Amino acid sequence: MKRHPVAKASDIPPGGRKIVRAGAAEVGLFNVGGEIRAYRNVCPHAGAPVCSGRVSGTSMPSRVYEYIYGMEGCILRCPWHGWEFDLRTGEHLVDPQNRLKAVPVENEALERIPLEQSDGTVYVLLPG
Amino acid sequence: MHLIDADVHNAFADIRAELRPFLPRLWQEFADRHGIAVPPAGYVSPVGVQREDARPPSGGLAGSDPDHLIKDHMDRHSVDFAILTGSHILGASVHFDPDWGTALAAAYNMNLSGRWLDRSERFRGSIIVSHSDPQAAAREIERCSADKRFVQVLMAAGSNRLFGQRFFHPIYEAAQAHGLPVAIHPGTEGAGTADTPTPAGRPTRYFEWHNIVPINAMAHVNSLVCEGVFEKFPKLKFVAVECGIAWLPHLMWRMDKNYKGLRSQVPWLKRLPSEYIREHVRLTTQPTEEPENPAHLLQIFEMIGSPDVVLFSSDYPHWDFDNPAMALPALPKEWKERIFWRNAAELYGLNPVTSGR
Repeated sequence: MKRHPVAKASDIPPGGRKIVRAGAAEVGLFNVGGEIRAYRNVCPHAGAPVCSGRVSGTSMPSRVYEYIYGMEGCILRCPWHGWEFDLRTGEHLVDPQNRLKAVPVENEALERIPLEQSDGTVYVLLPG
Repeated sequence: MHLIDADVHNAFADIRAELRPFLPRLWQEFADRHGIAVPPAGYVSPVGVQREDARPPSGGLAGSDPDHLIKDHMDRHSVDFAILTGSHILGASVHFDPDWGTALAAAYNMNLSGRWLDRSERFRGSIIVSHSDPQAAAREIERCSADKRFVQVLMAAGSNRLFGQRFFHPIYEAAQAHGLPVAIHPGTEGAGTADTPTPAGRPTRYFEWHNIVPINAMAHVNSLVCEGVFEKFPKLKFVAVECGIAWLPHLMWRMDKNYKGLRSQVPWLKRLPSEYIREHVRLTTQPTEEPENPAHLLQIFEMIGSPDVVLFSSDYPHWDFDNPAMALPALPKEWKERIFWRNAAELYGLNPVTSGR
């Protein structure tokens, strides 16, 4: 695995996103509730630049004609076909077997210090 | 092998004489002055709707004589049970006056009980309701449901609203409460209060109209699933009679694909749309699609993905009748039994061993 320095943690505040290049790959970095998640910027469905999609919440499972908004900030919606992915797991909401390709992340911030207050470098680990 | 025919059209020998005794006094007077008619779709078949050869010796309309229907159709083709779907009555749903429609539907059901269901155990009835007044339809379902010879609710496929919408839910609530499937049957597309037979306009001739009838069933099945009817009424079954079959895989695939991106609009759905269809929707065979290569129809059945969905129907005594001995391609044994009788036996709670055929 190769360790690519791709951002400063402070570049990605909670709710924030940064799309970076790491070697030949494009990777989307998302701060979801204080944790950095990284995914390849390729939708597993049809190859769209999924990480450029809207981050939002969505309607939760409910009774008929009832709308309950939830998972705020946890949904990445692919810009091409609207598939919703849970940013915490990478799973597609309809078919969890279909998931975003996660990229391991390391950062230099001490775990107890909130990311946005650290100036640590964020690394992604990619083969090669 | 057993055989249950899911679409047999009993007809009136004399609509006024048969329905008048069961109409409230006010509507009797109306019928005496103006006759009884339901709104027609207005398309005329060049071969007529009734089969010429099925006319009973009494000379009335084909399907109007119960004894002749048994002899000419059920005995000839070894039909254990016929699900009676009526004739010249489904348009009650699309009358401009919903009260007249409701009164006609109720009178039909009362007449059916005495004139047909009392005649043979092999006849099973449909509770015809007017979907223009769902509360009244629910009361009619309540009233008829004590008579277990009624095995489904039947309403016109023509409508100015899609059947999944909440307006119709009282019908489904009553049907589910009494374990009755809800069926629709074509013929009223474009009639009375129903919208045009296609959203792109009115076909010109009967041929063209008849070709495109399935578009309406597709729209209703789509609506029923998306509106969450089968989540709200998890025991409900919905039967699209005489609306074709080969379109179903297309609709299932399209719905499943869209659901993956558009799920958030229907958060009450817990499964893929196609899964609701396989569990809750039933289609009858006639008029069976006849591809050049009959094996292609079998492939369509396989694409539907469940042997439970399709029920055999003949549409006797209409012009496009399907002969049970010739209508379908060679089927594997399990599929054959399911389509010709097991699916209907399960859906309608019938035991062909005891039919008395």
